[in-house]
Amino acid sequence: MGLVDIERLKGIIGAENVKDDKADLYVYGSDSSVHQAMPWVVVRPHTIEEVQNVMRYANPRLIPVIARGAGSGMSGQAVPIKGGIVMDFKKMNKILEINLEDTFVRVEPGVVDDDLNRALKPHNVFYPPAPASSRIATIGGEIANNASGVRSVKYGAVRDSVLGMRVVLANGDLIDVGAKTRVQATGYQLERLMVGSEGTLGIIVEATLKIVPIPKFRCLGMAKFNKLEDAGNSISEVMSSGINLSMLELMDNIAITAVNKAQNLGLPDVEAILLFEADGMAKEAVDIEIQKIIEICKKQNGFGIDLSYDAKERAKIYAGRKKLFPSLSRFKDYFTCASLADDMAVPYSKMAETAQKIHEIAKRNNVIMTAYGHCGSGCMHTKILMDPRKKSQWEDAKKAVFEIYSYVRSVGGTTSAEHGIGISKAPAFKREKSNSLNAMRAIKKALDPNNVLNPGKLMDAPDDWVTATKLRYTTQQGIF
Amino acid sequence: MDFKRIQKWDNELNICIRCGYCFEQCHLFKITGWETDAPRGKLILIYGMLHGETKPSEYIVNKFFECFYCKRCDNSCSAGVSITDIFTDVRADFVDAGFDVDGTTSKTNDDLCSRCGICVSVCKHEARSLDKENKKIVIDKVKCQSCGCCEAACPSGAAYIVEGWELGENELREKVINFLKEDNNEPKISNILL
Repeated sequence: MGLVDIERLKGIIGAENVKDDKADLYVYGSDSSVHQAMPWVVVRPHTIEEVQNVMRYANPRLIPVIARGAGSGMSGQAVPIKGGIVMDFKKMNKILEINLEDTFVRVEPGVVDDDLNRALKPHNVFYPPAPASSRIATIGGEIANNASGVRSVKYGAVRDSVLGMRVVLANGDLIDVGAKTRVQATGYQLERLMVGSEGTLGIIVEATLKIVPIPKFRCLGMAKFNKLEDAGNSISEVMSSGINLSMLELMDNIAITAVNKAQNLGLPDVEAILLFEADGMAKEAVDIEIQKIIEICKKQNGFGIDLSYDAKERAKIYAGRKKLFPSLSRFKDYFTCASLADDMAVPYSKMAETAQKIHEIAKRNNVIMTAYGHCGSGCMHTKILMDPRKKSQWEDAKKAVFEIYSYVRSVGGTTSAEHGIGISKAPAFKREKSNSLNAMRAIKKALDPNNVLNPGKLMDAPDDWVTATKLRYTTQQGIF
Repeated sequence: MDFKRIQKWDNELNICIRCGYCFEQCHLFKITGWETDAPRGKLILIYGMLHGETKPSEYIVNKFFECFYCKRCDNSCSAGVSITDIFTDVRADFVDAGFDVDGTTSKTNDDLCSRCGICVSVCKHEARSLDKENKKIVIDKVKCQSCGCCEAACPSGAAYIVEGWELGENELREKVINFLKEDNNEPKISNILL
């Protein structure tokens, strides 16, 4: 902490935008992951110039700087593993331009996803990624993490919505990357490099995002399955049939039970459900796609298929799905929902096998795991439901995480679909990307030679996530 | 410090997965923008104090007495954590430990107070009582939920809530009212995905 001159920082950014009370540092050391580590100070910029000045102060002094949006990351991306300055972007949250003619918006990084969409809705356009945390997730965090969500099967991940951005480099220089046009072949696609870089290459201070028309018709369907395998097979068949759908979500029985318990939604008590949606400007076109999905689900033993064009009914189901992650903590007394092995992507043809494998691995390692996710985009989520007070459960979780990612690699999948790497997925990431780690380190070295931008993440994260930081949970003696 | 009341919430503090979904519902957080003022931040602090990782201070204690008990965080918590019940218990533990802070709890200007007792009768939280011996209004800071009924009902302008967050009382009131008018407790996402 002695490395930071608090008074100097107050001079740069204003005393009212600096926090160094231990209470604040403790809070800002945590996110939605299992990790915790205290920063030395928290600052809150309001302008690009302030961000530049903080970087010009921190970089020559080798002080780490960690950009933070809502702190909703599940892998510890915003946890300051090496201490330093946490740069909180919540007050840099202006929508700078809504350009309907050229179909883009320009925003500051602290704009909350839902707030942006609220502002866009009167213009009948939207910013599509829609991660489950969209009510609090900031655009800067979404880009740094390459988030996606329920509609990614049709509209893509955040990277597909980013046209360009302004970035402050480690030395304080401001660069413009990408463009405002839909296509560009103007040299290195640096905006793509910044997407998913988790704050390790530069600090995003402005983003230009693609906006698209809100479809006039949306139909949500739900199919029930008595076998998880049948639901998984439906996913691969739907996705290989050329159907133009906007959502395909899997929830297994553990996810269903947890959502019903926490939110009293009354979802059917079956082994799995698939939620599917098609959208478009003509109802007939939507109906055609929905009928194709229904036929496949029925062929795969799906039953009790419900459809709804009603916005309120759909909203209730969407809300349940979006609250699934926190609801999982209610599955069993004294268990919590730990964000571990929380996200991966696998080929469509392996969806059914992956869902079953998750449960097999969980059982073998004395934990409970669920299988759910935006399967239409190949994204499979799970969480580890465990008693965090028991030291032995962390060993169990470590083995389960290792086995899950070993399996994912063996079937041609990848370590993260949309939650990013941070700290907890770094060991699996490093195994998967072993032959490109040096290339990544070379890029990092070129852009951040002093290693001040969110150090200790991705390829530089520790090899053991259990001991990488203090865990946010406290294990207790006498509980075995 | 003895956390005899909040010990029983240890499991609930583990059930909170720190998703932060309570942020959008908290008008104090909307005003300050600091995570330490949001329900998640406060739960993190309780966890830290309970497990000896951070120590109670007047700064921390004040955070827990700054709450209007609108209970939107309770209603929005997808994990069903009883957030404001936990806050009430931690307040009681702080008072037992000798902390004396006001936060947003109501106060009485004894010079203006006529001891009519109207504020006692309108307080639905039973936070106000008339100390007949000392002839003054006594406020139970643990029970006070800063609803403002006492302030609204007091004929002499003696009952009041302290200004805060670098805002004047009228500005604060306007901000809170506007926020509460914005929406109900339904997740705001539902309006967008329709």
